[in-house]
Amino acid sequence: MSDFIELGPLQLALATILIVAAGAVSMALRLGVERRLGVAALRTVIQLGLLGLILEQIFALNNPLLVVGLLLLMTMFAAREAVTRASRGYRGILIDAWLTMAATCFVIGGMVTQVVVGVEPWYDPQYVIPLLGMILGNSLTGISLCLDRFMDHLEVRSAEVELRIAFGATRREALAAPLRDAVRTGMIPIVNSMAAAGIVSLPGMMTGQILAGSPPLQAVAYQIVVMFMIAAAVALGTMLAVVLAGRHFMGPDATLRLDRMTSRNP
Amino acid sequence: MGAFLECGPFTAADGEGRVLFDDVSLSLADGQFVSVEGPSGGGKSTLLRHVTALAYSPDSVRRLNGENYNGAALPKWRSHVSLVAQDAPMIAGAVYENLSFPFLQRAGCEKRFDEDRAAALMTQVGLERLPFDREVRTLSGGERHRLALIRGLLWNPKVIVADEPLAGLDPDIAAVCLDLLQRFGRQPGRLLLCVLHDPEMSARADRRLRLADGQLKGVA
Repeated sequence: MSDFIELGPLQLALATILIVAAGAVSMALRLGVERRLGVAALRTVIQLGLLGLILEQIFALNNPLLVVGLLLLMTMFAAREAVTRASRGYRGILIDAWLTMAATCFVIGGMVTQVVVGVEPWYDPQYVIPLLGMILGNSLTGISLCLDRFMDHLEVRSAEVELRIAFGATRREALAAPLRDAVRTGMIPIVNSMAAAGIVSLPGMMTGQILAGSPPLQAVAYQIVVMFMIAAAVALGTMLAVVLAGRHFMGPDATLRLDRMTSRNP
Repeated sequence: MGAFLECGPFTAADGEGRVLFDDVSLSLADGQFVSVEGPSGGGKSTLLRHVTALAYSPDSVRRLNGENYNGAALPKWRSHVSLVAQDAPMIAGAVYENLSFPFLQRAGCEKRFDEDRAAALMTQVGLERLPFDREVRTLSGGERHRLALIRGLLWNPKVIVADEPLAGLDPDIAAVCLDLLQRFGRQPGRLLLCVLHDPEMSARADRRLRLADGQLKGVA
């Protein structure tokens, strides 16, 4: 039925040798990352294993409520992860990150699945879940990078921000430079991977499709759609995240409220 | 008749919770140079940040020429009551951008950046060799202080609030800068509120205030 080589427990066990080898390198060079590597590997197995089981069930049941429920859960986890990665924070950052993730995911994901790809029925989990998952994974990186940069700019370059304010800058004017800086930083990974796609690297999704037996040109077409989708999602997500964060640090009176910033352990 | 500049009450504490000033208000007439003196670490800079609404003080009243400014009107207040900050902060870029950026903001839409006056002021304070396209990160502390002062004068707000604007300047240049500031403050409809370290400079003020033990009092 399938024209790809199936992987079983034996193959997965063999692959474990590779992570053990990476751990051995860490121990030999006293890098001290073997424990973190082990925990990360274990998380990968457990999280992906659980996801596989859940996806099998959701594919089988083919129920729109279940698909939407899973997507909401995914947005919450993505928001939590994005917030945890940032080295600074503020009260309400989790809700803002979740709102950003949800809005980005549903606007861009909705457009891609319903308009570009034309998924039938609209909630078909085979398309909707992986595509929105790609959006979330990449938005997460973009949003955490841009939030980090935004708060770093506000704190480290506060004198510059306040200089503009001291000459009557409105909130929008005062936050324009930090916002630009942050969104640019958040977009770097996707812009880099778009520039390198196909020359330096074979993107993950395309590789997966080819391994699963899709014709390469179809895989390429999907990859292009995915990359454009991710770029739009990251642009929208980072902008939204920074606008929401900006409102916490500056009200309509344009007073910079750094006292609202909290630090996290690196 | 009410005063030209009225603001307060302001209360602030330092990082350790020590009260810097408590329930302090200002009421000043126009056309004068007012100095603020006081011990180091006594809260003078914080007080100026409150006056210029850079510090958050939502319960304070700010009135200029009888007009109230609060909430969303604070950007407008700051455009009238502008701070020349102690460490002469600059935006990343060249001298020209640093002098002209306020005029590109909404608050400056009715003003015009006067390049000739900028050049004339730069000559007066000994910055005649400084080209407009020089990156500000290459400037010395003294050059930055003079540039910050010129920016404040060019902006020509109703009130200049200056925090040790003469720090690090040699005496001749400092005297020229103080003359410029004093001339600005003594115009009708203008006011200069200035923290100065040097008692000789402070002695030239029309009105002297002293912030100590949490209170702002007149110096006889």
